[in-house]
Amino acid sequence: MVSQKIVSIIVLVLSTIAILACLVIDFDAWIVYTVAMFGIPAWVLSLGLLTMAKPKPEDVEGRLKEPFTGY
Amino acid sequence: MNLMANILIQVIIAFLAGSLLLGLHRKIMARVQRRPGPPIIQHLLHSLKFFFKETGFPKTVSKPFYIGITFILALIWVVGVIAGPVAHDSLLILFGVYAVYKIVEHNSGSSSGSPYGKLSCVRAVLSAATELPLFAAIVFVYLVTGTMNIGEIITYQSVHGPLIYTIPLAALMFFMLIITKSPYSPFAITKDKALISGFETEHYGLLRGFMHFSESIAWYVMLWVFLTIFFGPLNAVGYLIGMIVITFITGFINATTPIFSPNHSVMTQITIGAICFFGTIVMIFTGVVA
Repeated sequence: MVSQKIVSIIVLVLSTIAILACLVIDFDAWIVYTVAMFGIPAWVLSLGLLTMAKPKPEDVEGRLKEPFTGY
Repeated sequence: MNLMANILIQVIIAFLAGSLLLGLHRKIMARVQRRPGPPIIQHLLHSLKFFFKETGFPKTVSKPFYIGITFILALIWVVGVIAGPVAHDSLLILFGVYAVYKIVEHNSGSSSGSPYGKLSCVRAVLSAATELPLFAAIVFVYLVTGTMNIGEIITYQSVHGPLIYTIPLAALMFFMLIITKSPYSPFAITKDKALISGFETEHYGLLRGFMHFSESIAWYVMLWVFLTIFFGPLNAVGYLIGMIVITFITGFINATTPIFSPNHSVMTQITIGAICFFGTIVMIFTGVVA
């Protein structure tokens, strides 16, 4: 879980920097498209991985063993 | 305007407008069925709320695949926004986006390890039949306008009038796709409630919110493409009215139509597609189409 948090922070920072760079500097269109295609989903996903609530330690095992929960 | 700023604005518009339209869709279905229904903003609130809900990764999932497939879903619809509202690029890119969307449905179900997801994954292969009418509709647009480029198609329509009058049956084929992708559609065999939430069953919490984000953009992009290639150059008000009208129509259809069994769903889509396909060919050869 700690490594997941570190990876999420790194991806969030990198995607933020890439998107801001494209906002400030006029790169070629293909560079901007590439950054947008990968950067926007990466930014939303990494932010979500940081904001999501984690199960309580005593509930973790139950959550992982409890598939097919739907909503 | 800076290209990235344009893309960001269009993605945010697509997400907000798509979420509200899907909320409206649910409200319309409820009112047709004489239920009060949730507020129109509920779909948007759900999408945001899921980002803060407790999320775990069940032992049965293939984790990189399980998370990665939601990333791919978002990626392809960002590509849809870029190819459509931002760049007015080729229709073939949007066809490719839709083809990958079917792959996402398939792999999202198989990555979860859930029997419901796997059954939905099998049905996603069956429901790929909807791509045939979509491809036929795009081919007819090309035959009439001589181009696949959305910008040039808009220009063509500003001179010759909307394509809905020229190739209405091709528009009907495209509309079939929109009905298929609308929530609670009679053709939504991958999300049949017998399969809980189908290929999304195991994606809950954050990942469900992320999928809602992508699906809201998907709904907006599909309506935008339909209105753009069949109803000619439209301004913002025209798009808004058009999207609300289509959402009303699909909501009414879905509220009054039970879901088909998989074989009936596929056969109905192929039959309607075939009738529209040969009907359009007859119209072209008899000179009805200019």
